[in-house]
Amino acid sequence: MKELVGTTHMGTEPTMAEGKQAQVITTIAPAKMTLAEVRAKLEGKTGKRFWKNLDELSDSPQFQELMQEEFPRQAGAGEWVDSVSRRGFLKVMGASFALAGLAGCTKQPDEPIFPYVKQPEDLILGKPMYFATAHPFPTGAVPVLVKSDAFRPIKIEGNPEHPMSKGKSDAYTQATLLDLYDPDRSVQPKFRGEPAQWGQFQQEFAKAVAGTKTGEGVYFLSETITSPTLAAQWKQVAAKYPQAKLVQYDAVNGDHARAASKAAYGDYLDVQYKLEEADVILALDADFLGGIAFPGFLPISAAYAERHRFEAGKTMNRLYVVETMPTVTGYKADHRLALKPSEIEAFSAALAGGGSTLSNPDAQKFLTAVLDDLKKSGGKAVVVVGPQSPASAHAAAHALNASLGAVGKTVVYTESIAPIPSEQGADLKSLVADMYNGKVQWLVLLGVNPLYNAPSDLEFTTAFNKVPVTVHLGSHVDETGFYSTWHINKSHYLESWSDARAYDGTISIVQPMIDPLYGGKSAHDVLQALLDPSVSAYDAVVANAKTYITGDFPTGWKKALHDGWVAGTAFSPKLAGVPKTAPITTSAPTAGAIEISFRPDPSIYDGRYGNNGWLQELPKQVTNIAWDNAALMSMDLMAKLGIEENEAIELNLNGRKVITPVLMTPGHPDDAVTVHLGFGRRVEAGRVGAGVGFDAYSLRTSDAPLSAAGLTVARGKGTYDLCVTKVHNIEHRGSYAQRDLEHPLSDKEGTYSLAGHEAMERSIIRYATVAEATANPKYASEGASGTWVNKVGYNPQGEAPEHGDSFFPDSWRYDHTAVVGAGQKVLQNSWGMSVDLNSCIGCNACIVSCYAENNIPVVGREQVKIGRNMQWLRIDTYFEGDLHAPKAHFQPMMCQHCENAGCEQVCPVGATVHTPEGLNTMVYNRCVGTRYCSNNCMYKVRRFNFLLYSDFDTESLKFMRNPDVSVRSRGVMEKCSYCIQRIEAVKIEADKNNRAIADGEIVTACQQACPTDAIIFGNINDPNSRIAKKKAEEREYQVLADLNFRPRTTYTAGVINPNPELA
Amino acid sequence: MAQVFDRSSNALARASLVLTGLIVIALGVALNSLQRSPWVTKQGQRPDQPVPFSHKHHVEGLGLQCQYCHVSVEKSSYAGIPPTKTCMNCHSQIWTDAQLLEPVRHSWATGESINWIRVHDLPDYVYFNHEIHVNKGIGCASCHGRVDEMPLMYQQNTLQMEWCLNCHRNPGVNLRPASEIYNMAWAGPSSDKPVWCTTTGKGGPTAQGVSCVTKDPNNSNPEVAQVEAPKVGASGQSQVVSDAPAMTAMSPAVSYQRFTSQADLGHFLMDKYHIRTANELSSCEVCHR
Repeated sequence: MKELVGTTHMGTEPTMAEGKQAQVITTIAPAKMTLAEVRAKLEGKTGKRFWKNLDELSDSPQFQELMQEEFPRQAGAGEWVDSVSRRGFLKVMGASFALAGLAGCTKQPDEPIFPYVKQPEDLILGKPMYFATAHPFPTGAVPVLVKSDAFRPIKIEGNPEHPMSKGKSDAYTQATLLDLYDPDRSVQPKFRGEPAQWGQFQQEFAKAVAGTKTGEGVYFLSETITSPTLAAQWKQVAAKYPQAKLVQYDAVNGDHARAASKAAYGDYLDVQYKLEEADVILALDADFLGGIAFPGFLPISAAYAERHRFEAGKTMNRLYVVETMPTVTGYKADHRLALKPSEIEAFSAALAGGGSTLSNPDAQKFLTAVLDDLKKSGGKAVVVVGPQSPASAHAAAHALNASLGAVGKTVVYTESIAPIPSEQGADLKSLVADMYNGKVQWLVLLGVNPLYNAPSDLEFTTAFNKVPVTVHLGSHVDETGFYSTWHINKSHYLESWSDARAYDGTISIVQPMIDPLYGGKSAHDVLQALLDPSVSAYDAVVANAKTYITGDFPTGWKKALHDGWVAGTAFSPKLAGVPKTAPITTSAPTAGAIEISFRPDPSIYDGRYGNNGWLQELPKQVTNIAWDNAALMSMDLMAKLGIEENEAIELNLNGRKVITPVLMTPGHPDDAVTVHLGFGRRVEAGRVGAGVGFDAYSLRTSDAPLSAAGLTVARGKGTYDLCVTKVHNIEHRGSYAQRDLEHPLSDKEGTYSLAGHEAMERSIIRYATVAEATANPKYASEGASGTWVNKVGYNPQGEAPEHGDSFFPDSWRYDHTAVVGAGQKVLQNSWGMSVDLNSCIGCNACIVSCYAENNIPVVGREQVKIGRNMQWLRIDTYFEGDLHAPKAHFQPMMCQHCENAGCEQVCPVGATVHTPEGLNTMVYNRCVGTRYCSNNCMYKVRRFNFLLYSDFDTESLKFMRNPDVSVRSRGVMEKCSYCIQRIEAVKIEADKNNRAIADGEIVTACQQACPTDAIIFGNINDPNSRIAKKKAEEREYQVLADLNFRPRTTYTAGVINPNPELA
Repeated sequence: MAQVFDRSSNALARASLVLTGLIVIALGVALNSLQRSPWVTKQGQRPDQPVPFSHKHHVEGLGLQCQYCHVSVEKSSYAGIPPTKTCMNCHSQIWTDAQLLEPVRHSWATGESINWIRVHDLPDYVYFNHEIHVNKGIGCASCHGRVDEMPLMYQQNTLQMEWCLNCHRNPGVNLRPASEIYNMAWAGPSSDKPVWCTTTGKGGPTAQGVSCVTKDPNNSNPEVAQVEAPKVGASGQSQVVSDAPAMTAMSPAVSYQRFTSQADLGHFLMDKYHIRTANELSSCEVCHR
C-alpha cells in the first residue's frame, strides 16, 4: 500500500531554458522583496493607495520591467513553453503549414446525419429544454434548472422559482456539470481491481449481510446524508439489521455547530440567518459570502447585498468580521479584525462575557465598538457563525443572539436539514476503533474518500486494511476506491433519482437529466440491495415522497418535478428557548507560538472537486492562486521566519510534516498559518487533480480539525513557483504615469508611483463612506466638488469627453431609430451592462458560469502561470492601505464593449467589429491571431488561444459543449461576448412574435449565476429598463473613462458604512 | 568567350516577364473560380444516400406537406430530419418489401439511425436559424430551390457567404407572404398575377398580421394564396398548428392593396413583418458567435 504521508511536488518544475536556446520566461511570479523594503516604500505615503499585489505596492524595478512587456509571457522565444525552439519547430512543420494553408480553401468533408428512429414527443431539436433538479451538498441542496440540449445537460442555472435560492447559484454548483462529463469517471464496478457486475455485488452483499442475521459487522460510512429518502431507506435497513451501523463523515463538516446547538438547546438544531432584518452583523470566522461551504450562502449573501445597497430610504447594514484567514467576507466587511485561532476563542469568550478585557488593545477596541453597535441596534443585529467557527464562537453566538433579542428576527432555529444529524468526528473515531478491533466485516463507503481525507492521527489506512471486505461507491476510482475490495461506480446527481433538503428545509426532487453515462448506481441502490433489490431508486424516492407531498399524489409529484421543490416542506422556526450558557473554555494562546488553521479550499472545497478543471483553474478568492495551494501567512511572520514568497518550507505539526510553498496574504494575522485542504490528491484523483498542491490533511488530526497550535516551520526546502494570476492583467502603462509625472497635479501628498497610480488617480475604484456619499451624491463622477473622496478628476481628462468636446460627437450614438419598411421607426436595441461594486462579493460564481456557457477551455497550470488562462471574466481585487489590515475592493472585469473600441481599430482582418446594437463582437473564423487587439485593449480582457486548448477529442466533453457557441481553435482571440448567443435567441423569439424584447428577458450567464444580483444587463435605449435607470444613477462610472473608449459596461461606485468609533 | 545568350534571349526574357504576370493572374482567376465551383460548394451534387429518397415523388406526386417530415422548421433553428418512424407511418403499409427501403426497415428493426449524408452543410461557425426565416417570409424554395422537382436531393445554391449576404443586404427581393412559405411554385406578383394584401391588425406571430390573396378580394369568393388546404385560413402558420379563425379578416371592409411587382410587395412586407434593416441583418453576430 502506498505511503500516505503528504507528498509534494517541489522542485519538479521543468527548467525551460536549455543550452543556447533563448531564455523562455515561464513565470511572471512577483519579484522578491523584503519587509523592510515594503515599509520603506510605504513610509511617508498618505492618502488612499490601491494595490493588487506586493510588487505593485513596492513598485520594484523588476516589476516595472515586467510591465514593459505587454504580454510578459511572450518574452523570449514567444509562445513556446516547451524546450522545442521556435526555429526547430518551423523547420519540421514548414511543409505542414504550407499544406495547411491550402487546406483552408478545400471543401468540407461529407457530414452524416443520424436522425432518431423514434423521436421523443416533446423534443424540438435545436431548442433547449429546462428541467428542475437540485445539487445535493452537505450544507444543503442548491435547487437548479438544467439546460438540456437534446437531453444532454449543458448548463446548470439556479431555479428562479425556488423560494430559497431565487434563481441564484454558486461556483461549485455551476462546475458540477464538468464533473458529469469528467473523462476520468469510473465507468464500471470493480472487484479486486477487475471489472465486475453490479448484479454480482448486489447478490453477494445481500447474501453476506443476510448471513449475519442482525447485521453485525456491517458498517456504512457515508457522506453527510441530506436526502430524506436515503434516511428512510437507512431506517428500513436498521430495522431489518439492527446491528448494522451508519457513520456519516465529511472532512469538512459542521460538528462544532451541531455540538454547540446541542449544548445550548439540548438538540441538534440548524441556524438560519435572516440578514434582511439585520442592521449590524458580526461574523465570527464565518465566511458567509464565500460560497455554499457556508450553509445558506445563497439567501444569506442575497440578503446581505440587498441591505448593503445604498438607496434612498434604506439603512445600510454594517458588517464586522473577526477571522483568521482573510476571506471575501472579511474583505467586504466594514471593519475586519484579524486574529489567530486562539485569539478568536478569547474574543468570543470576551464577547459572551459582555466585553471583558482582552490583552490585545486593537481587539479590545474592536470588541467594545462591536458590542456597542450590536446593542444599539435594538435586536436588528446578528452574530453569524459557521461550520469553520470554533466551538467557543458558536457558544458566544448562541448566548449573544439570545441576549440581543435577535432570535426570531435575524436568527431562526430549525431542525437540522440532515435527517440523521451526528457529530461526525467522534463517530469516525469510534468506527476506526471498531475497525482496529476487528469488529468490522463489511465497510461500505458511500461517496467518501477517507483514505485521502480522514484525520491523520486515526491511521485510517491501517484500520482499513483490517477490514475483510470494503465497498466503495464513488464517481472515481479514487484513493479509497483503488484499495477497496469492491468499487461501485457512482452515478452523478444529474443521472440519478434522489431528493434533498435545501437550507430552508424545502425538499427538492433530484431527477435524472440523462441516463447514467456509465450505468452508475447511487447510495439508494446500495442500501436497497439489502432490502428489496427490485425496488429502484425511483421507486424508493416516490415511496418516500408520499410522506411529504400532500394532496393528490400524482398531481403533487408532477408539480414537484416541474417546479423543482415541494411546497410546504420548508422548516418552520423552532422555539428554542433560552440557551444554556456554560462558561466558554478557551485554550490560552501562547505568545509567539505559531498556530495553523485548516480551511476548505474556496475552489475545490474538501478535495471533491479536485479533478474539476474549471475549479482548479479558477483564481481562488483572496489569494488568486490557481492550481496550487500554499501556506498563507502575513508579511510579519515571513519576516520573523526569514522566508520569502515562493520559498518552500516544511510545516511540522507534532511530528507530522509537509512541504509547502509560501504566499503572503494581506490581512492575515501574525503568528498563524492557513492551509487549504483538498490538494495533494494522489494519482487516483484523475488527470486534472493528481499531484496538484500539497496535502494539508496529513497535518490535520481528529481533535483539532479547525486549527492547532504548536506549528514549527523549517526553511530551506528549495523554491516553488506558485501559480498566481494576480499580476497577469496589469497593462503596460508607463506612459500614463509619465504624463502625470510631468504634470504634477493638485494632490501633492499622493504618490506618483506607478503602483499607486492606477486605482486611485485613474479612479478605477471609486467609493465613499455613507456620510460622504450622502453629502456629495456625485462623488463618483466628474464635476463634483467638495469632499471628493478619491480625487476623481485628478487627471486632466478624468472623464470621457463631453458631447461637444468630441470631434465626432455622433459617431458612438446608438439611440438611432431604425427605419423598418415603409417609414416605421423602432428604437434600436443597444446593450449595456452595469456591475454594482457594492454588491459584488467576489465569490467567483460568475466565472464558472461563464466557463460552462461559453465553452471556455481549461489550459493547465503551466499555461496559467504564464498568463494564458482563458477565463473571459476575472474578478480584480484591489487592496488599499495597511498591509496588515487592508481594505479590499472587488471589481469583475470582462470585455467592456467599448463604443470606440481600440481593438477594432487595429484588427487587420476585421475579426473584431462593432454591431449596430453596440456589441464589440469577435468573428472567430476571421481571426488570424495577430493579437494587435489585445495589445490595444486597456482592460486586458482579451484571451488568446496560444495553443490548442479546446479539447476536440475527448468524447464525453463533446456532450457538454454549448452548441450555440463556437469551440475555439488554436490561434484565435476570444473574449466576453455579453453572451451573444442568448441575445440572439431572445431576439429571434421576439422578432417571430413581432414584439420588442422585454426588459430582463436576456440574462447573461454571469448575471444569472450572481448570487447578489450585482450584474445588470439590458437595453440602454429603453428608458424604462433597469439598466437605463441604473446607468442614470449618480454613482455610475466608467473605468478609464478618460481614454474615450466609451465602455458599455459601467460600474456603480461602492459605499461603505464604517463605524465612526473605529475610524 | 562567346556570348552565352543569343540575342533572341532578350525576347524570351521579356516574354517570360509577361508570361509570369499572366500566370499569376491566371492562378488568381483559377483559384477564384475553383472556390466558387460546385466542386467546392457541392452545388448541384447528389451524394449517395442510403435510400434514394425522392422529394419530387413525395411532394409533387403525393402532396406531402414540407412539415410532415421537417417538423421543427417553424419552431427551431433546425428544420429536422424525419425519424425512421415517419417513414414507417406509410411504409409499414405500402411498399413494405421494396428493396430500396431495406435500410429503412433495418433501422426500424434494429433501432439504428439511417445514415444520411447532409446535403445542405454549412460550416460549423455559421449559426443558421430556420424558424426566423420561415416566420419572416422567406420560402423554402428561396434557398432550397424547387425541391418538389428534385428526384434526388441536391443543393440548389452555393450557400456561400456572398450568397447569404445578397439577401441579407436586400431582403425585399425574396420576401413573400408567410402563407406562401411552403409554396414551391411561388413566383412573386406580376402584372399578370397580382397579389392583394392587407393588414389584419392582429398581434402575435408575424404572419398573422398580414393577409394576402391571389385573387381579387373585391370579387366574391376570394381564394387564399395557399398551395394546399386553402380553406383553413390566412394564417401563415402552418395548417398543422394554426388556430386562426377562418377568413374573418376577409370582410369587404378590409382594404386590400394590390401588388404587381416583387419590389413593391417586398417593401410592403419589410414594413409589416418588421424585417430588420440591412445594416443589422448583415452584422457579423447575426450568423457568427
